[in-house]
Amino acid sequence: MDIAPGALSPLARQQYLWRIRLGLIRRNSAEFLRELRKHPVALLSGVVIVVYILAAIFAEQITVHDPGRGNLRLRLDPPAWQAEGNWEYPLGTDAQGRDLLTRIIFGARVSLAVGLISVGISVVVGLVLGALAGYFRGRLDSLVSRFADLLLAFPFLIFAIGVMAFLGPGFTNLILALTFKGWVEFYRLVRGEMLSEKTQEYVEAARVTGQSHLAIIAQEILPNIINSVFVLATLRIGYMIIMEASLSFLGLGIPPRIPAWGSMVSAGRDYMLVAWWVSTFPGLAIVILVLAINLFGEGLRDILDPRLKIDG
Amino acid sequence: MNNPALLELKNLSTVFPTRRGQVWAVDSVNLSLREGEILGIVGESGCGKSTVLLSILRLIRPPGKISAGEILFRGQNLLKLPPRQMRSVRGKEVAMIFQDPLSTLNPAFTVGEQIREALRLHHIVGSARLPWPFDYALRKLEKQRVLDVMQEVGIPSPMDRFAAYPHQFSGGMQQRALIAIALVCGPSLLLADEPTTALDVTIQAQILDLMRRINREHGTAIILVTHDLGMAAEFCSRIAVMYAGRIVEQGEVDQVVGKPQHPYTQGLLNCRPRISERAMRVQPIPGNVPDLAELPPGCAFAPRCEHFQPVCEAGAIPLIDCANGHLSRCLIHTNFQRQPHWQWGDRVGAG
Amino acid sequence: MRAVKILERILATIPIVFGVAIVVFFFIRLTPGDPVDIMMGQGGAISEGEMDRLRQEFHLDEPLHVQLWLFLKDAVRGDLGYSYVLKRPVTLLIAERLPATIELALGGLILSLVVAMPIGIFSAVRQNSSLDRLSMAGAFLGISMPAFWLGIILILLFSVRLKLLPVQGRLSFDANLQEITGFFVLDSLLTGNRVALLSSLKHLVLPSITLGAPVAAVIARVLRSSMLETLRSDYVTLARSKGAPEWSVVLKHALRNALIPTVTVVGLQVGILLGGNMIVETVFSWPGLGSMVVSAIFDRDFPLIQGSVMIYAFTFVMANLIVDVLYTYLNPKISL
Repeated sequence: MDIAPGALSPLARQQYLWRIRLGLIRRNSAEFLRELRKHPVALLSGVVIVVYILAAIFAEQITVHDPGRGNLRLRLDPPAWQAEGNWEYPLGTDAQGRDLLTRIIFGARVSLAVGLISVGISVVVGLVLGALAGYFRGRLDSLVSRFADLLLAFPFLIFAIGVMAFLGPGFTNLILALTFKGWVEFYRLVRGEMLSEKTQEYVEAARVTGQSHLAIIAQEILPNIINSVFVLATLRIGYMIIMEASLSFLGLGIPPRIPAWGSMVSAGRDYMLVAWWVSTFPGLAIVILVLAINLFGEGLRDILDPRLKIDG
Repeated sequence: MNNPALLELKNLSTVFPTRRGQVWAVDSVNLSLREGEILGIVGESGCGKSTVLLSILRLIRPPGKISAGEILFRGQNLLKLPPRQMRSVRGKEVAMIFQDPLSTLNPAFTVGEQIREALRLHHIVGSARLPWPFDYALRKLEKQRVLDVMQEVGIPSPMDRFAAYPHQFSGGMQQRALIAIALVCGPSLLLADEPTTALDVTIQAQILDLMRRINREHGTAIILVTHDLGMAAEFCSRIAVMYAGRIVEQGEVDQVVGKPQHPYTQGLLNCRPRISERAMRVQPIPGNVPDLAELPPGCAFAPRCEHFQPVCEAGAIPLIDCANGHLSRCLIHTNFQRQPHWQWGDRVGAG
Repeated sequence: MRAVKILERILATIPIVFGVAIVVFFFIRLTPGDPVDIMMGQGGAISEGEMDRLRQEFHLDEPLHVQLWLFLKDAVRGDLGYSYVLKRPVTLLIAERLPATIELALGGLILSLVVAMPIGIFSAVRQNSSLDRLSMAGAFLGISMPAFWLGIILILLFSVRLKLLPVQGRLSFDANLQEITGFFVLDSLLTGNRVALLSSLKHLVLPSITLGAPVAAVIARVLRSSMLETLRSDYVTLARSKGAPEWSVVLKHALRNALIPTVTVVGLQVGILLGGNMIVETVFSWPGLGSMVVSAIFDRDFPLIQGSVMIYAFTFVMANLIVDVLYTYLNPKISL
């Protein structure tokens, strides 16, 4: 910094700092895109994810069939390339004669929304609690950490199934069940990083210049650990999507009238012997999306946070 | 040199492919060692001195490989041995001790077990007729031998230490344990790669004493690799100085330390603080160790040399015999005359 | 010394087990609505007087901390309540279903270890070979695939199309197996029933693959990366310099140390095995704990759900305890 920030008024100082930060973000994103080009798999995965997101947003515009109402005369119509197939229903129809492709495209909405929202809330809760607990330690830390340990004693899916069993199916309940345990991962990451970053010299230096604790946490330490949080968040989105699909498969996630991939696979199970496509394609949609997210997250880790890398 | 050579390196070269091209970590090294002799290889870190030792045992990690030369051990070329026979040389005939004892000892096995393993691998005490755990009788005999060796290298109360894990040992004890592993099969050649670098000064002296005693009592030849010219001068009978993968000076201790010929050796000697002088003056060699991937065609030391002449960078310079086998790789001995046909592995007379 | 440490570790899990029980207790108590009404399936199926009687029987008229105390006291005695749907004690129901679940979990775990260990080791030894790349791609697929879908695909392929393996259940009807332990593979060995042995093994194959695939994927990845690290270590060079043959260098010196981080990760995978258990048992109609819980959810059989979730969490805690103990044996440096 070329001017002593202490000489500025608080507002001017904030403006000054933000100008620097925005510049950094702009430069970093350019650099990030350049780096991404060196990871073709991650780049391709990114494209796949964007396609899914666009499909989910513009589901009404890009489909011609009604996802909820089928043509009962065309029940269990096979995919187009099979002998009895029909290009009007490229991936075939389900037991109610509804177009599978349409329902898969609408199903992306549920999966992406659940993945993004549950991870988003988990990140916020975990970040705030982890930062406070790791920085201040004390009673808050021991209380929250105990609770986190307790939640860790439950396998995730079991916990979610248990909660959903009592709350009943529904979008809000689903988010609640997933975030109730989902924040722990982020809490542990942020708290651990906080503990180690706290002893670094730059934190000491910031304290000597008289910055408040909250300012040190938000402005000095968080920028250093946000990359790890970002990488973990990406990988967790894939996990949450599988969670949602598993709960919906058991009939505990999204109510059946809303198209969700998990319940679509489940519905196809009854017709496994005569119509393989009904279960196969919605599941394939999950695999491709989650695979893309995981590969993208892995590439992100290589670029943003080489420390976390597990493969040599 | 009337005794037959125990070990002879002929034009040994070891290369590592890197993103920026081939790196010659060892380039045309010629060395010979008699039975029971102690040779020192001196140089800065990254000059290839440790790679020479690993090359002798053929333990260069791929993609690195020995690209040329011969390694004659008792007249037999180790580079031509099939893997199985090479393994029976390792540890039994030629043993090695390493720089960092803590990371070199396997953390998951007891020290006694790690020493015993060498015995078992080379059937020193005998061959097991029954598989583990029915080889009890043989193990008992082996354990006795291990305890003797632990005693010999100065590990106190070996009975208790046999079942201890490496992290329960102090640094000096760890190095003694490593020496015990090297010694237990009675090798005729010991390769010591900076064995004292990781240790305290007092422990260093003890370890050197131990190695000297091993040399005296068992007649084990030793190659000591070190960056400390002073230590090499005290410990060895002959010294080879390496720079950027090549030997730049070689001879008896009195020759190399008493009348250093190569500017690099002279520089190394000037670097050493001497208490005897009234004002302790240390003269560092100017410049940095060269990048092995981008060596000049001629002398690698030329950019840092005070005697630099343009001809130094023209091409290969051989080792030049200055007096009675005192070799130096510097054109200063030929009045900066260079023959175009000279190769790095050549050896020519002065003048 | 080590025994003391292990004992300490065991004692340390006791508060966690109690914490788990308390969380499970609050599961039902914090659900909006009247617990008795919820338990009885909501909708006034029984009279008000009957509900009051039930409230008394469940001690729901007592203050919350007394209820908790009674719940914990019963749980310690092994009494997890009574299922009003199945009309039997929860503990008994769980005990009946447990062997099937354990058999499947062991099948999945063993299968994943048998597949993942050689792949992890070989991929590290031959880093960047085509087999390495192929297995790591497979591992990525393994962690990205939902278990229920994999199970269905396997059924479509091996049962429906190729007709090689059974679609569901633990045993075919023609195998008259006398049950002794409830572990069908063991029972058929004990009674020398070859038909039942073959049948029970055949029934195990697809569910075990489905359950084990994500676990195998994680183990292979972690083992590979830790092997890559240990294969580069100084002690591996020492082992080679001693004259150790290559198999001993890899399988003894490098693997022994690579197992230390791997074991920790395997411990974490137990959660996936348990969670996956519910899914896999549902897909393959496997008569175990998981499929029982899923039907209990639809029957709104809360005492049974509560008891089963507690058993799952308890198993998870115990599995982690075992992993910790194993860890101390593998890593002499660690003192719990």
